This record gives sequence, C-alpha cells and structure tokens, in this order.
Amino acid sequence: MAEKLYIEALREGLREEMIRDENVFIIGEDVGLYGGAFGVTKGLFEEFGENRIIDTPISEAAIAGAAVGAALCGMRPVAEIMFFDFFTIAMDQLVNQGAKNRYMFGGKAKVPMVIRGPMGCGTGAAAQHSQSFPSVLAHFPGLKLVMPATPYDVKGLIKSAIRDDNPVVFAEHKLLYWTKGEVPEGDYTVPIGKADVKRQGKDITIVAGSIMVPRSLEAAQKLEEEGIDVEVMDIRSLKPLDLQTVVSSVKKTGRVLIVEDDPISYGWGAEVAAGIVGSEAFDYLDAPVKRLAGLDIPIPYNPNLEKHAVPQVPNIIDAVKEVLR
Amino acid sequence: MATIVKMPKLGTTMTEGTIVKWLKNEGDPVEKGEIYVEIQTDKVNIEDEAEASGILRKIIVKEGETVKVGEPIAIIAEADEELPDLEVVEDVADGKQEESASVLTQEEDKIAEAIEAVPGKIKASPAAKRVAREKQIDLSDVTPSGPGGRIVERDVLAYIQEHKVRATPVAKKIAIKEQIDLGSLQKAPGERITKEDLEERLIEQEIVDTIPVTGMRKIIADSMAYSKQVAPHIYLSLEVDMSKVIDLRERLIPLVQSHRDVKLSYNHILIKAVATALKLNPLINSSFTEEKIILKQNINIGLAVALEDGLIVPVIKDADKKGLAVIAKETQELIQKAKTKKLLPDDYQGGTFTITNLGMFDIENFCAIINQPETAILAVGKIIKKPVVVDDEITIRPMMNLTLSCDHRAIDGAVGAKFLQNVKQILEEPMNMLL
Repeated sequence: MAEKLYIEALREGLREEMIRDENVFIIGEDVGLYGGAFGVTKGLFEEFGENRIIDTPISEAAIAGAAVGAALCGMRPVAEIMFFDFFTIAMDQLVNQGAKNRYMFGGKAKVPMVIRGPMGCGTGAAAQHSQSFPSVLAHFPGLKLVMPATPYDVKGLIKSAIRDDNPVVFAEHKLLYWTKGEVPEGDYTVPIGKADVKRQGKDITIVAGSIMVPRSLEAAQKLEEEGIDVEVMDIRSLKPLDLQTVVSSVKKTGRVLIVEDDPISYGWGAEVAAGIVGSEAFDYLDAPVKRLAGLDIPIPYNPNLEKHAVPQVPNIIDAVKEVLR
Repeated sequence: MATIVKMPKLGTTMTEGTIVKWLKNEGDPVEKGEIYVEIQTDKVNIEDEAEASGILRKIIVKEGETVKVGEPIAIIAEADEELPDLEVVEDVADGKQEESASVLTQEEDKIAEAIEAVPGKIKASPAAKRVAREKQIDLSDVTPSGPGGRIVERDVLAYIQEHKVRATPVAKKIAIKEQIDLGSLQKAPGERITKEDLEERLIEQEIVDTIPVTGMRKIIADSMAYSKQVAPHIYLSLEVDMSKVIDLRERLIPLVQSHRDVKLSYNHILIKAVATALKLNPLINSSFTEEKIILKQNINIGLAVALEDGLIVPVIKDADKKGLAVIAKETQELIQKAKTKKLLPDDYQGGTFTITNLGMFDIENFCAIINQPETAILAVGKIIKKPVVVDDEITIRPMMNLTLSCDHRAIDGAVGAKFLQNVKQILEEPMNMLL
C-alpha cells in the first residue's frame, strides 16, 4: 500500500468522487487555478474545469448559501472554507438553513453537502486563523461532523461525507495536511459515526480527536517505554458520537483521558465524559475521568505561547501518569 | 560518582538541622570519615563526617541556613566529574520532583487531600466498589493506595489475593451448595480446603431447625433473665403429706362435677390452699420496688401453663374469696383459653403469686424463677408414695415436695419458711381452708 500525505489522500478522495458522480462540485475561495490556500484542490481545476471547481468572491456566507441551495436542487457540493475560523460567517446559511431544511420540509428536501476547512493552531497564524471549534458545530441538530486524523481516514471519510444526504462538516487540521500514512488505491469508505481504536492498550484509554490523535499515539509510544500500556481511541466523528466504542474501551481499561484541540469549556470532551459516567462503564472507572484540552484563550501569536495554548505530547504524558497514579 | 550529601539525622528527635560552619570550602578535597561540617540540631552542635571521598564540589546549604533532615546540603564528586543538574537538585530540595508542567497536578492534589473524608463514607473508585460488591468484600477492610486515600480496583484485588481461600473443586462445590463460607475454614497457609474439611464442618453444624427469638419466646427470655439478674433467690423446700388432700379430692370430685361440670384437680386445691396461706402471710403477696415493698390487697394466683411453644401464667383473681368449685371452673377455662391462645390481657395480668407444677412429668422437686414483679413462686412436685416416720413408725404416705423461691430483697428466710409451713399445714389438714 502506498504511503501518502493527508492532503494527497483528501484530494484523491475528492477527485474520485467527482469522477464517480457528476453532481459533485467544489466551491470556495481560490480553490480553482490556485488550488486552495493549502493546496487541497491543486490540479482539480485543470481536470474538471471551471464549471465543477468554482472560485467565489470573499464571502463565506455566499459559499455556504450557494452550497445549501445547490444541494437542495440535487447537486452534491463540497464547499471549502479557507480557515475554520471563517465558519462563523457561514453560520446562518449552514445552521439556520442547511441544517434545518430536511426537517422543516418533512423529509421531502435533502441537503447533501459537505463543508470543509482547516482548523487548529501551530502555524503562527494568530487568533483569527488558528481556532478549533468543532464542538460548536456538533451542537446543532441536522449537521454531522467528522474530523479525520489520518490519510486513510480522510479519504474514506470524504467519500462517505459526499455520499451522505445530510450536510456534513468536515474538519481538517492544518498540521495534519503534511502527515503521512498508508492509503489504498481506489474506492473505499470510512463510516461516519464510528470511533476507531488506533492503538490497543490495557492501562488507560485516551480518547482523542484530529491532531490530538497523532500526538496521543506519540505519547503512548513514549509511555510504553515506561511500561504503561495506552489504548488510543480516535473519536473521528463528533456527530453522530460513537459512545459505545468508547464505553467498551473504558470498561476494559478503567481509566480515561480525553484529549481535545478545542478550548476546554463546553468542549466535546465534556460530552464524552458525561457519556462515560452515565453509561455502564461507570462501574469500571478506577479513577476520575480526566480532560486535557486547549486553554480558554484566543490562540496567541507568540510561538511559545501558541504552543502552550493546546496540549502537546509532554502534557499528554503527564496527564496519563496523573490518571494512573 | 557524585554523592549528594543530605542533612543527616543525628538524633531520634531531629527533624531539621542548621549548618553552623563548613570546615571545607568548595573545591577542597575531603576524605571519607573526615570532619568537614558542623551541624546544629535542636539540642547540640555536632561535627559531621564526610560520607564519601572526593572534592567538595558544591555547597547547597550555606552557613546559618536550616533545612529538613534528608534534604541535600552538598555535593561531593571527582574533580572533573559532571555534576548532577543543580536545578534538579534544588527542585528535590523544594520537594518538587516533577517538572513545572505538573505543578497544576500537585495543586489539584492538595485540594483533593484538603477535602476531609466524609464520615461514614468510604472513598473508593466505582471500579473498586463494583469488584467489592461482586466479591462481597467490605471496603472498610481494604487499604487504599490511590491518590487522596482512594481505594482503587487494584487495592480490592490485592485484598482478595491476600485473603484468597484455596480449596479443591469438589470442596468449592459443596461449599456453594451448603452455603458454607470457605473463609471460615482456615487452613495452614498454602494448604487447600478439602471435601473432608467441609464434611467435618457439616457434621459440626448440623442444624435441625432454628427458632426465632421473637414474641412469647422473647418475653420469656427477657423476663426470666431479668428476674435472675435483679432478684437474689432463696429456696425453701419441704414435703407435704397429701393423704387428706387425696381423700378430700376424691370426695369432692363428684360434687364439683355436678356443680360446675369440671373435674377437681390437685392444682385447684393447691390454689385454694396457697391463697389461704397468703392471707396469713401478706408479705409474700407483694411486689418489690427500689423504694418500697408493695403489699397487695387482692390475692391473685397465677398458674404456669405449658404451651407447645412456650409458657403462660393465667391468673385466678381473688382466689382467697372463691370456693373450690369456682376456682376449678375458672382455672379450667383459663387453661383452655391459654392452650387455644385466646387469653385476654386481663386473664394473665395482675398476678400476685405464682404456682408452677411439674408433677405430671414425674418431677419430684425443682426451683422456679420468680415471675417479676412478684416476690415468690411455689414449685410443686409429683405426689409420690414414700416411707415416712409417723408416731415413731415407718408408714407409707403420699408425699409431695414444695419448693418456694423467694426474692430475698423482700422476703427473709424465716418469713418465707413460715408461709411454706402454713401451706403445708393447710394441705395436711384441709379443713384449715374453711377457716
């Protein structure tokens, strides 16, 4: 199996879906000839032309609105939001229209669209270009939300997202684009709403999402040298949330650390923690459920401060040890 | 190898020490056993020896400074040796062994440990609680090892391991079937409990049935134990020649039968005789309290009646004022009611003296326990024909033993004896009952 970059796997998934279904098109800022701000759509304009790779003015509201409208009319748009921060501008179209249409029309309308963009800090892009807030979007009924952490998952999930008849928010992380992993050639899908055990272990379960998955795996590897056997679970999909897989793992290990990229307050980790405590896993908990997440601050520009704003590998190691005390 | 010298413990009560004087400077060579520092404890100044040879490379605690026992005060090492990271050493000195990232963790610990244990609640993780529940282990027996005194799963598992009972599979099966706690069959360490051990236990504890101590049983248990605790019993015993009573009874039986349709028994006559004697001995017809002895006006005679599952004492009220036929009739009715459990409280309350007769079981004599708050009880034995001396001649007479139990707090021996003598006189000359 070939090793590919996350960004390549994502592009491959988009391309294969565009070949498979002529209703699939891409819309966003600089997604055309420029290939997107991070290069996700590089080469697609040349292959599919301006009717299927559509550049827009600088208006996320327009991008989201056009995508919702096109989806209602039977197309399968993939809208790119250049930075996840700009989802706030697309919110009305996405939340008040896209998420609700299917319900408000009693199931007669459907909105098969994907809206994707890169979140996260670590590139020195400052407070307005560095946020991760998938939990916010996962809050709204009618939206699905996935945040693949590996090249394999990003290709499989973009296909599932495009084929889904509901609006799917596709949260990428900037630092993941240049990570490598094995990606099969050709068509395969990864189901939405399924968490994935990325590493088996028996001492503690780390539930992580997005960029925190590779960080947790790195921490797990270092902890292994100290004889600590960590299970790393990639939550992968925030909506629907796969609590059952989490619960099964916690029943096995009895201890859990949830690692998030979002600011800690009201983050998805709280949802997972509540799910664990309220489930049959309660009787198997041998230590309080611990959360490790971003600080409650806008991401700082200063690179040192930026690093401390979200969990890094040493923080994960420390937190694991604390839960295992 | 570098030696980190720690503040030594120079006495059993020493908890901290002050560096009075370094006798060597940084960079000076020191020999193991050489005096190189003067330390002041709470009591004395002591010159301390170097614990290693080398160069006194670093003085951590300066003269005049005080640190706790066990904290680093200096480093002795080779001249060219790389010293351990001073920061780490200083962190150790401050009691901080982890990096700054874990400062928050320690703060949290302090908070957790500052929260006082809730009385009556055991701090245990849900997993520990689940295992304890499944294995029926009392968490209060388990030693916690988790942070802040929390019992975690491994503690319960360790407890189980420690208290593990080893038994053969057959023994385990029997134990489950017979509900025997294997833990109660302690064997030598490493030895397994066998089928034989269990069979032995089963023989030991073969229980036919159990009887709950409730209701009447509980009342009997409580009042008998109470009476023996509070009342110093004295026992007086004599034999009565029952010839005349037997004769009287035989003649009265048909009369009583026709009058009241009841068969006159010795108990009926005893009741009448005792009531008559009580009239002559009012101190026996009493109850005792800490402040006073209460002499009762009415003579209400209780008669102990054995039931299948206990004992009850119905009361014949004003027995001294009633004729034998009435006593016979009332007694028979009360016994009937007692046996069918139809006695009303009024039927067994208010007694002033009790008679208990075990003659029908061939008992010759016995000592009864006083039925509180009464002060005496009369135990009656079987009428047995015995050779006795009458007018210097041996003759056969039907004799009956009477044993009076008296509460010595109220009744002295002579008082009780006089009463019993009166009973004897009445029974031996039943016409006395008519007086």
